[in-house]
Amino acid sequence: MRDLIKMAIVLTLISAVSGLILSVVYNATKKPIEYQTIKFVKEPAVKKVLTGYDNNPVLDRKKIKIGTDEKGNPIELTVFPAKKAGKTFAVALEGHGKGFNGLIGVMVGVGKDGKLLDIGITSHSETPGVGSRVTELSFTDQFKSLTKAPIKVDAVSGATYSSRGVMAAVNQAIGYVNTFRKEIF
Amino acid sequence: MSLRYEFTKGLWETIPPFRLVLGLCPVLAVTTSGINGIGMGLATTFVLVFSNIFVSLLRKVIPSQVRIASFIVIIASFVVIVELVMQAYFFALFKVLGIFIPLIVVNCIILGRAEAFASKNGPIMSLADGLGMGLGFTISLFVIGSVREFLGAGSLLGINVLWSSYEPFAFMLKPPGAFVALGILLALMNLISQFQAAKGGK
Repeated sequence: MRDLIKMAIVLTLISAVSGLILSVVYNATKKPIEYQTIKFVKEPAVKKVLTGYDNNPVLDRKKIKIGTDEKGNPIELTVFPAKKAGKTFAVALEGHGKGFNGLIGVMVGVGKDGKLLDIGITSHSETPGVGSRVTELSFTDQFKSLTKAPIKVDAVSGATYSSRGVMAAVNQAIGYVNTFRKEIF
Repeated sequence: MSLRYEFTKGLWETIPPFRLVLGLCPVLAVTTSGINGIGMGLATTFVLVFSNIFVSLLRKVIPSQVRIASFIVIIASFVVIVELVMQAYFFALFKVLGIFIPLIVVNCIILGRAEAFASKNGPIMSLADGLGMGLGFTISLFVIGSVREFLGAGSLLGINVLWSSYEPFAFMLKPPGAFVALGILLALMNLISQFQAAKGGK
């Protein structure tokens, strides 16, 4: 019996201390991780989808509250505005759509008139060589200058699910722009 | 059982993964270039050193029935620390190593050293053992990675070293190439050891 209690206490203590240390490290690295993700994942995509701006869309990024989760915490969406002479004329934001293997993240550039500028895939776990072909320019270039919602393009043959995932992500992003037009522009 | 021996044994005599054929999963998976090998090796070394120290410090407190669970909690904590720090400050490396960082938790070398060495020896000895084993592992990964990078891409540490018309063996960068590289290096090491033994015998 004494052994049993000792076992339980030791294991509990070790786990508790580990948990405490990890929460400290997590909080200390949260900001740099966010910065690194923006720099290495989002910034290249933002630069691809926006053109003709004279500001820095990454520095001027703003967060928009798009709802609350079940605990009441706000869900935020980061938008990257492209400005010319101080006026926002287009915006880049990320949408997500279900692909063949989990979510596909797509950075979508949308003009103030609702016209699609360009898209760039930021994250995906599609099958290499098959679904991953949706990241190629021959597919993503089809989205340029489209206006009619819902957005539809030709799928990559053999990668229908992945292609649909990208379209869903683009439509989600456009949906955000339409719903939160006032906050974004 | 000198401190020096505990440190140096990991560098040649029982160098992982050649002599101590443990932890082959990251060895085969991430060694597509020399620099990846170093990154993975150093991450493993960090976890190994700290888990060894803490397991050794707690070895008299932890009841033997729950030792494996306790070791894993300790190891997992350090792995998460490495993962977060790498993500925050070495993002490019983090992206390449990806899933293999969290998998350090189940790397046999770490649990193996905790069980076989750190749970029976003092913290200083365990530190030496962890550092030696970790550096040995790093060197091994670097060598395998460099061989594969040299043959598979014609470069060393990302710099092209071969003439431009060199047609690389792309095969060496694929998973089977990892086995081939590991096998050749293992054979070479055995050859050297045999030669040394023969020389010592005379």
